[in-house]
Amino acid sequence: MSAPDERDRPWQRLRRAFRLPPSRDRLAAEVDDELRFHIEERIEEFMRVDGLARADAERKARALFGDLDGYRRDTRDIDFAMNDRRQRMDTREALVRETRLAARALRRSPAFTLVTVLTLGLGLGAATAIFTLLDAVVLRPLPYRDAERLVALSSPVPRLKGQTRWGLARHEMFYFLDNSRTLEALGVYQVSNVSVMGSGAERTERVRWVQASASLMTVLGFVPHRGRLILPDDNHSQIPSVVVLGHGYWQRRYGGDPGIVGTSISIEGFPLTVVGILPEGADLPDDKVDLWAPAHVDSTTVMNNHTWSAIGRLRPGVSAEAAARDLAPLTERLPEVYPQVYRPDFVRNTGFSTDVVPLHDAVVGSLVTRSLWTLFGAVAVVLLIAAANVGNLFLVRIDARRREMAVRTALGADRAHMAVHYFAEAFLLAAGAAVIAVGVAGAMVQLMIATAPGELPRLTEVRLDGVSMAFAVVGALLAGIVFSIVPLWGARPDIATLRQAARGQTSSRRRMTVRRFLVGSQMALAVVLLAAAGLLLQTFRNLRTVRLGYDPQGVLTVAVALPEITYGRDALRASAVLEQLADRLRLHAGVTAVGFGDRLPLSGGDWCTGVTLETASAGGAVGTCPPTSLVSPGYFEAMGIKVEGRALDWAGMSAGDGAMVVSRAFARHHWPDESAIGKGIRFTRGAYYRVVGIADDVTGSSVDGSPMELVYFPMRPMAASPLWGAPVQTTLVVRTTSDNPLALLPAIGAALAEIEPQAALSNTATMETIVARSLSRHSFTMLLLLIAAVVAVGLSAVGIYGVMAFMAGQRRGEIGIRMALGAQASAIKAMVVRESMLLCAAGVAVGLVGAFLTTRALTALLYGVQATDLPTYATVAGVLMAVSGAASYLPARRAANADPAAALRGDS
Amino acid sequence: MPRTRDLEVIPGTLELLILRALAWGPMHGLAVLRWIETGSGRTLRIEEGALYPALHRMESRDWVASEWGYTDQGRRARYYRLTAAGRRQFAAERLRWERYADVVARLLHTEPAT
Repeated sequence: MSAPDERDRPWQRLRRAFRLPPSRDRLAAEVDDELRFHIEERIEEFMRVDGLARADAERKARALFGDLDGYRRDTRDIDFAMNDRRQRMDTREALVRETRLAARALRRSPAFTLVTVLTLGLGLGAATAIFTLLDAVVLRPLPYRDAERLVALSSPVPRLKGQTRWGLARHEMFYFLDNSRTLEALGVYQVSNVSVMGSGAERTERVRWVQASASLMTVLGFVPHRGRLILPDDNHSQIPSVVVLGHGYWQRRYGGDPGIVGTSISIEGFPLTVVGILPEGADLPDDKVDLWAPAHVDSTTVMNNHTWSAIGRLRPGVSAEAAARDLAPLTERLPEVYPQVYRPDFVRNTGFSTDVVPLHDAVVGSLVTRSLWTLFGAVAVVLLIAAANVGNLFLVRIDARRREMAVRTALGADRAHMAVHYFAEAFLLAAGAAVIAVGVAGAMVQLMIATAPGELPRLTEVRLDGVSMAFAVVGALLAGIVFSIVPLWGARPDIATLRQAARGQTSSRRRMTVRRFLVGSQMALAVVLLAAAGLLLQTFRNLRTVRLGYDPQGVLTVAVALPEITYGRDALRASAVLEQLADRLRLHAGVTAVGFGDRLPLSGGDWCTGVTLETASAGGAVGTCPPTSLVSPGYFEAMGIKVEGRALDWAGMSAGDGAMVVSRAFARHHWPDESAIGKGIRFTRGAYYRVVGIADDVTGSSVDGSPMELVYFPMRPMAASPLWGAPVQTTLVVRTTSDNPLALLPAIGAALAEIEPQAALSNTATMETIVARSLSRHSFTMLLLLIAAVVAVGLSAVGIYGVMAFMAGQRRGEIGIRMALGAQASAIKAMVVRESMLLCAAGVAVGLVGAFLTTRALTALLYGVQATDLPTYATVAGVLMAVSGAASYLPARRAANADPAAALRGDS
Repeated sequence: MPRTRDLEVIPGTLELLILRALAWGPMHGLAVLRWIETGSGRTLRIEEGALYPALHRMESRDWVASEWGYTDQGRRARYYRLTAAGRRQFAAERLRWERYADVVARLLHTEPAT
């Protein structure tokens, strides 16, 4: 084998390294040569011996030979077949042999093997886990037929309330379907909770219930598992008489008994006939529904009641934008078409329009999409850092093995064998890494499902599946390819190596540069991650210190539902039951306050109630639409909300004194220059309720939201002034001195069962849990990002340690000379550390620029901190400089403590 | 003088003859053919082209190995030599052929027993 040419192009080197097999053309040419030789020899022989002319000699030779073309073909085919077979055998043999050799080589360096496999496995595992989450939540279409044609419809009303969105009104469904050219079908629905009444030994239970137009099931592409679906005729009645069971509920409550179809069940005391059962997986987008009932949706009923969720199916080939453009003029004309419910200036006053967005986007949301992509970016960066470390390890290993490879070359191993050897090694490592990655990913996915915020959509669809496995395997294969090419590129075995003395074994300058570049990049990437994690950490801290306006410690909340049929029209009776319950619970040890409220902090929802404010001027009245809560006396004490003036009391409320409370934000908004106390507010008609207290503001649906302008009415209405309903669905709030408020639950259940056996409890949670859950959107991202950042910094420290140790080793001779010439050990240490710090500083500088450019993507996730927060950046830079200083200290000390004489001799 | 080339090679014996030829040492295809010609006194009729599929088949069975070399006249030719496996094959085939020919010859000289 001739020595490879130094000026080879890389691909030529590779081509030779793989010893490309003789081509078929070449085999055929050899056969031609062989046969031509035969014929030519014969011709010459006949001319010489028999004295024939050339033409005659040739004729004779050919005649003797027989069917030249036929024999040529036969011979070739034999060669082709032989060649193919030998190649296969060669490859298989080489693979087996080199794999065995590679496995032996890896066993001989267990540290290298372990570190490589673990580093790659962890990095790849984390990336696989986040990819699994990203794939299930963001990338995969929703689980419906032709899901890309589904859209969600809603109506922003910017001039009324900034962020508020209305749903559709039921008449819009018919109006849009009849007049649009882009919608194929459209369904509306409302989700709520209802009680399924127990009979006999069964307890009353709260279930998730949706009232829908029949068309919704068509839109979502459902087919019944048993019985039938909701039909358009069902939508004509005011009160539903039929119900369709969700598959999960059918299994859970009825054990999958098909005989349930045709029987009757009691919902809130009303009998409904079960007409069908849905198949498994037939759910609302990201909402597991137990019962499906027909809503009252009738083209003749027109109400300005924009509270219905709506899902449409677009005609094939139509985009959501096109549908929005199609519906815009129709929306503009609503007041003309339905003058009985809209004032002519309705659209102008509210800014009302109809939004059409792909259902997937409506379900997943841009914040979630952004968070998950951010996390995926973070783990990808960690993976890159891990790969850089492994790359570094490979480079070190190559240097260490140059002699071994040179010996093998000298003994006749050809480049093909060595290429296969490198491949075998890299792929063995990659296979190990893939196994670890799948294990790590499995554990991480479990952990993420357990800790993910409840509002993370599609969480139930997250599982480690074939796609995740494929991701891990492809990632490992890529790593294997990269790491098997690194040695081919980096080090040509050169027999000249053998002539060099051991100490002359310096690493090439180019490889050292590559190594520094890798470490610098690691630092830069670690800076980006650490900066992002730092910003989220501050966000989290800021959120923790937000003034909540209430005191969540020791507070238990339980939803209480009284049967609609008994109490729905009797607010006095409902509040009397609740008062009894409160009286009993107050007697329990440790209970310091008990109350009820139907709109708790952080419980979501942005609906409002139209109320009228009494104004002093001209005896007039002002209408407004604040969020309202029906509360009982004791609510403010139980929730720990401070009230200026006085709160409600049981005696006063029972006497119908009409006392009420407003939030500070509401008071400031409506009576900016005077006290709100004494002002009047009423629902529709009758006497005004009087404001007696001003409650501290509480935040609305999220901790970082703005305070709600909230109005608290007493849950028991004044006789002369009705409210909008009886308190049949409210939440019990109990404050205890106990560390474990949940322990009260059995007592609450027992007390309620004695007072009203048909009542149901649900949604038990401590207020602290609710606050934590609300923060989890931030804490989840923060925690994962923080883990990624810490791992990144750790890996970078290992990387810089490795390079500095190697460099110090390389320069042992130089350091020995310096020390022999009188350099102090401290100066040597400083030299090595300085080198490391310079390298790190360069990486940090690049990283800061990168962080500055990329952390903007986080803006939506931040609270109380800018994406370009200088103190955060400074801290991050400081931390990484300190880490790199520390990581280089050990190599520095070793270099400084080396015996100069030994170093100069070249001994270890 | 016997008529030339009047005996057709019995199928299967060509390979045995090639093995025998190469047992002397490496040869190219034409040299094998010439050895058969001379040795048989030009009585065996072989279509010359048939030699090459046979040689290559034997190579693919690893009985022979081939290599390009040069003739005395400086022509490039493909030389074949016996491998160890080829040598064993030759010994076995030769034995088999001799027993076979022996048996056939004996039968031809035996009167039918009536």
